[in-house]
Amino acid sequence: MPYDVLLGQEGKKEFLLGNEAVVRGIYEAGVSVASTYPGTPSSEIGDILYVLGNRMGIKFEFATNEKVALEIGAAAASGGLRSFVFMKHVGLNVAMDSFVSLAESGVRGGMVVLSADDPSMHSSQSEQDNRYIGKFVKSVVLEPSNPQELKDFIVAAFDLSEFAGHPVLVRSTTRISHVRAVVKFGKPREKNEWNYRKNPSLVLIPENAYKAQESLWQRIVKVSKSKYANYFNRTYGSSDTLIITSGSAYNYVEEALSKLMKEARILKVGMSFPLDTEGIMQEVRKAEKVVFVEEGGPFIEEQVLAECALQSVSKKFYGKSNGMVPYSYEMDVDRVASSLSRVFEVDYEPVQSAGGAPNREPVLCPGCPHRATYYVATLAMRQKGIRSPIAPTDIGCYTLGFYDPYRLGDFCYSMGSSIGSSSGFSMVAKEKVISFIGDSTFFHAGIPALVNAYHNNHNFLLVIMDNSTTAMTGGQPTPETSPPFNRVDIESVVRGIGIKDVFIIDPYDLKDSLETFKKALSSERLSVVISRRECALEADRKKPLSELKVFQVNQDKCTRCYNCIRNFSCAAFYTEEGRVKIDPELCDGCSVCSEPLVCPFNAIEVVE
Amino acid sequence: MVSIVFAGVGGQGVITVAMIIGKAAVMEERNALMTELHGMAQRGGRISVDVRIGDYRSAIIPIRSADLLVGFEELEAVRNLGKLRKDGIVILNRRRVHPVSMTIRKMDYPDDLIREQLEKFQVIDVDADGIAFKLGNKRVANTVMIGALHSTGVLGLREESIIRAIQGSLPDKLWEVNMKALEEGKKIVPLQAARTK
Repeated sequence: MPYDVLLGQEGKKEFLLGNEAVVRGIYEAGVSVASTYPGTPSSEIGDILYVLGNRMGIKFEFATNEKVALEIGAAAASGGLRSFVFMKHVGLNVAMDSFVSLAESGVRGGMVVLSADDPSMHSSQSEQDNRYIGKFVKSVVLEPSNPQELKDFIVAAFDLSEFAGHPVLVRSTTRISHVRAVVKFGKPREKNEWNYRKNPSLVLIPENAYKAQESLWQRIVKVSKSKYANYFNRTYGSSDTLIITSGSAYNYVEEALSKLMKEARILKVGMSFPLDTEGIMQEVRKAEKVVFVEEGGPFIEEQVLAECALQSVSKKFYGKSNGMVPYSYEMDVDRVASSLSRVFEVDYEPVQSAGGAPNREPVLCPGCPHRATYYVATLAMRQKGIRSPIAPTDIGCYTLGFYDPYRLGDFCYSMGSSIGSSSGFSMVAKEKVISFIGDSTFFHAGIPALVNAYHNNHNFLLVIMDNSTTAMTGGQPTPETSPPFNRVDIESVVRGIGIKDVFIIDPYDLKDSLETFKKALSSERLSVVISRRECALEADRKKPLSELKVFQVNQDKCTRCYNCIRNFSCAAFYTEEGRVKIDPELCDGCSVCSEPLVCPFNAIEVVE
Repeated sequence: MVSIVFAGVGGQGVITVAMIIGKAAVMEERNALMTELHGMAQRGGRISVDVRIGDYRSAIIPIRSADLLVGFEELEAVRNLGKLRKDGIVILNRRRVHPVSMTIRKMDYPDDLIREQLEKFQVIDVDADGIAFKLGNKRVANTVMIGALHSTGVLGLREESIIRAIQGSLPDKLWEVNMKALEEGKKIVPLQAARTK
């Protein structure tokens, strides 16, 4: 089995992805319950637990969204079990309502929430720094720097959580969760027994919440005064320049210093809330210059500067607050060296990358049913005389419809925002509103918005692109996945709301899909097209070799009208001296481009 | 200490190859770090993976610091040249995957740009797809690349570790053809060196 190495003996060393180290960590910590909604860069944790959960004695499930996941974990922790909930950074926004309450109530069994932040937005809509959320809700905040620490901090976080009766937020980032490094295993601990007692602080009516508020601050103070205050921090090196750093930013500091041939004293913060201000201020007092190198906002920096103001300590400070360290995007050795060069007043100009290479935008895979859906939707609108629709879209592979040639993507904020914004657009816009959402996103946050749209009588066309999987994060199951789970049928949900104009298409059948789209576009009220076709990557995995075929362009028949590349635009097409060709390595054999609606000259043929 | 950039397009197995090198290093009790960068596309997007063997903390290779660039696709190799040391080596599979944005504009693959940029470096051409085709299994192209990479000697890893790492990532029945692919890959560097002399 692929992930079996994670069950290895104490003392073993493996080359693990940060997310794999997380799974080992919760196994060692004796976690009983875990839940998530998939999101990059945390997705692999769920993939592994889905396979390995039972053997690790961990009850794991993919929840419909992050808020549900957090509440599953909170229930387990209230009965004394250890629970673990994980998500990408923006997922914590969805879970926020209950996360605030969780910190208010406190926990009995250890509970750790992992947020995988994504500085530089490699696969996200923002680079929010969730350490601020941790401080805002007043949970403990830990910041590991590498896969080994990710595992070790998680194990310690559970002990800390149980010691203080308080949840712990572990903040990872892309360059920790998605870094592979050597990780040494520890010993798995026994699991806690279920031991539920009624507890009024879990019922946050005003009277109980009023008491919980006092206890919350006591829990934070308890952590500050315990051995944990500086347990996760480390200080070394001798110099009157002090660099305070944390998380993945720490990884770049020493190599940057060696590039500049300089030295510094390094204070690596592992627990950034509550902060060990006493220990840190001792170091600050000894230093002449104090530099803050963090990824995200000036989180530690602001806390230390506030303490310096309180204690009237004045030093030369270098950080994000005074523009000495950049605010945005992930750090690396070159960026840190460039910031430090200002501290040491030396020159450092990293040579820029070789330029000139044309961009390679992300694309829908060959065979992707979304491409066919976008193609017919566009064709139907053209035939109905709809020139410039407003097309809210959502979070998933289909967001790529934003790019040429489809250009169907006018609004995309967060999970489910396509439908909410469509209500708003259809309330005021003169343009036709046609909105796109995927199946998993529909379940996650689309349903309340669709209820709103129907109830308030909004008029737009919603296209639910149902590929029966959470494709963009690697193909996790959805509420439609069955067996062993109960299948939730999207059509029944939509009809159950009361919506009358519901159409089902198979996007590979272009002719029928075109007629159906035109019907749906003629509707004068809220209508829904469910475009149903399995993700091509998933389908390919099941396809027997005998069914594999590829297509080619018959140059004798091709008239060079270029409709295929201009409007259908499969990633397997390319041009050479004006000729359209198909890369056989990339062709998925879906055959959609050979339909007369894409190639009216029947020039695209199967390679015999 | 050695830093290697692997660059290509989603679906080419770039990550798998990088991982084999990382695992081989770990088998020799060396410290290894690996990080990958890919966008939101599942297939066809650009991918680059940094692998560093030795006493590093940063998985990301700084600008102009990589010893080797292993290109699985020409344009992606060029895109990552900025990471390569001035005297670094490029190992390149001459494969072209046309970006869709160029195809829509009916643009040909940018051969001139690629030639111009690669000229500044020592480039080892590997016809990995051609060799794999001759061996009767086009999926072993990446093993040919590993063979060529290993034979530069820059990795400083024992062949036995690399073989074990490849073995760990394969079902037994594919073993023999991959061993042949590795052998073919190993011949390329000495051959090209002989030719330039």
